[in-house]
Amino acid sequence: MIFRTSPLLSVALLLLLTCGFMMALLGGSTFNLQPTHLWQALAGSQTLATELLLSLRLPRVLIAATVGATLAIAGALMQGITRNPLASPALFGINTGAACLLVVGQTLNLPLISNMPLLQTTFGALLAGAAVFLLGGGGTGRLHPTRLVLAGIAVNALFLALTRTLLILDEQAQSVVAWLAGSLADTDWGHWQQLWPAALLGTVAAFTLGPKLNLLALGDETAASLGGSPARVRLHASAVVVLLAGSAVAVSGPIAFIGLMVPHLARLLVGQDHRILLPVTGLLGAALLCWADYLSRLLQYPSETPVGLVLALLGAPFFVWLSRQQQETT
Amino acid sequence: MALRIGMIAVGLLLMAVAGVLLGTLSLEQAMTRAWVMQDLRLSRVVIAILAGSALGVAGALTQGVIRNPLASPDLIGVTAGASLAATATLLLFPQLAHAWLIPAAIVGGLVSLLILLWLAGDSKLNPTRLVLVGIALSFWFGALVDWLLSSQPQQINAALVWLTGSLWGRGWSHVWILLPWLLVLLPAAFTLSLKLDLLALGDESAQCLGTDVKRVRLLALILAVTLAAVSVAVCGAISFIGLVAPHLARLLVGGRHLLLMPTAALLGAALLLLADITARTLTPPIELPAGVLTAIIGAPYFIFLLLRYRGW
Repeated sequence: MIFRTSPLLSVALLLLLTCGFMMALLGGSTFNLQPTHLWQALAGSQTLATELLLSLRLPRVLIAATVGATLAIAGALMQGITRNPLASPALFGINTGAACLLVVGQTLNLPLISNMPLLQTTFGALLAGAAVFLLGGGGTGRLHPTRLVLAGIAVNALFLALTRTLLILDEQAQSVVAWLAGSLADTDWGHWQQLWPAALLGTVAAFTLGPKLNLLALGDETAASLGGSPARVRLHASAVVVLLAGSAVAVSGPIAFIGLMVPHLARLLVGQDHRILLPVTGLLGAALLCWADYLSRLLQYPSETPVGLVLALLGAPFFVWLSRQQQETT
Repeated sequence: MALRIGMIAVGLLLMAVAGVLLGTLSLEQAMTRAWVMQDLRLSRVVIAILAGSALGVAGALTQGVIRNPLASPDLIGVTAGASLAATATLLLFPQLAHAWLIPAAIVGGLVSLLILLWLAGDSKLNPTRLVLVGIALSFWFGALVDWLLSSQPQQINAALVWLTGSLWGRGWSHVWILLPWLLVLLPAAFTLSLKLDLLALGDESAQCLGTDVKRVRLLALILAVTLAAVSVAVCGAISFIGLVAPHLARLLVGGRHLLLMPTAALLGAALLLLADITARTLTPPIELPAGVLTAIIGAPYFIFLLLRYRGW
């Protein structure tokens, strides 16, 4: 669909993604990796460099791209259903909720559930999302933008405090601190196996919701009179958001600001049509997180910065700008 | 009114005694080991009281100026700015004396206030806009703090406990650093209370009654920031006390700042002390940071306020 409307843009996006992918795959390593090593890996030769590429870098970069895409799409869906430009998984406490429940699961060490991080994070995301929605005025039918953000802050603070308490009690703080800031450092093929089915399912489901979100953008009354059910669309989209954010957090920890920034950038590029907006958001999100991963290794070379921090440093000024815009329009 | 304040004060005193005694020590052990009491416990309790009252008054001032029940120093990004400055000083100049943390935190808090006012770009200090921009700012400062921490991994644990707000390892030296600042700042805040009462009538009425609205606002905000920054420099970013204490005080003694501010100070001290006692005794060998507990108590209260606030 994108290819029909704007071939130049889609080529540029794909190029951005491919470059980011290659840079993240090869760059920022103490071990001098060259493009020829990639060629050798593809040809099937077994050297140290190709081993490194295939078993460490490749899963990491694949996960970066997928997590970026899922979080960005989750943000676009949230902005679509709340019609609030500040909506995003991180700001509304959904990422923190997912992370908190994951830590709870690990600490309690329940026999069955502890092996299913996806289940825990999805439940946490669901819990936080429902709380923010209800507190933000969802029960009364009128979602106030500032109120939603404040509810998100409160829920976020609560889950963060609970997570920190558990970590200190369990004396595991050191190993999880990087993960809590959002990090791709310890990912491997096992994580990839765990991530891709949920991410794929969520992304496809999000794309099918595109036309309905377009209807929703016209306002609830208009959408209802045109034959859509706003409540049902919101419910479906929320379920997809929970799945997407939950699966991403289970692997990479709560990475902030991708879900906030990317949909806005995508909207600047291709406009409001969700059928095009959602795929572009996914591509941009994937590209952004690949580049951020590359940057995270360069910033304090040779040690790594958690990628969530890189994004927060980039994204928070954007948020400042956005909240100023927000006040001018309302 | 005076009775209520007196009761809070007595409660605070009892809690302070409990705070000194409680813990893993029994009473007899406590009597025989006076150094534990004097050197460790007593100083800690004194710091909790001082920092808590500073936070309570800072919250009362902020709410008086912004006239929004959701305003507090930690929500408008001032606490985050102060802790960024303090963390930077701590990590980048480790050889500096601990007393320098307070001026650094104050400068950080004032700079973040300036940035906030500049970004909000609004001479009337519109409450919702201030809060939104403040939240965004505190995200940004928080990210910078995290970045500083991750670039100095050898000090991450100490800094982490300090950042969530903790009274662990504070001694008499901290008391002597904190006390002079508060002796100047708290009376200054109390002298503003009549002016703040006038502000509560609305800008026009206050102007008519002979108040320089803008100057009072600016002065009160600067005082609030300084108070918050001083407590951040000593105890770290303890959240939600600046929000909760003034509210409870308003419920108890009403909106007159002359009574409100001392009550907020007492309640802030009581809350922080309570949080510290709970944090220490919940799981004895391990100590939770007090800031985590204030967040666990404060966040639901914030949610409650959100549900009740009708000014949307």
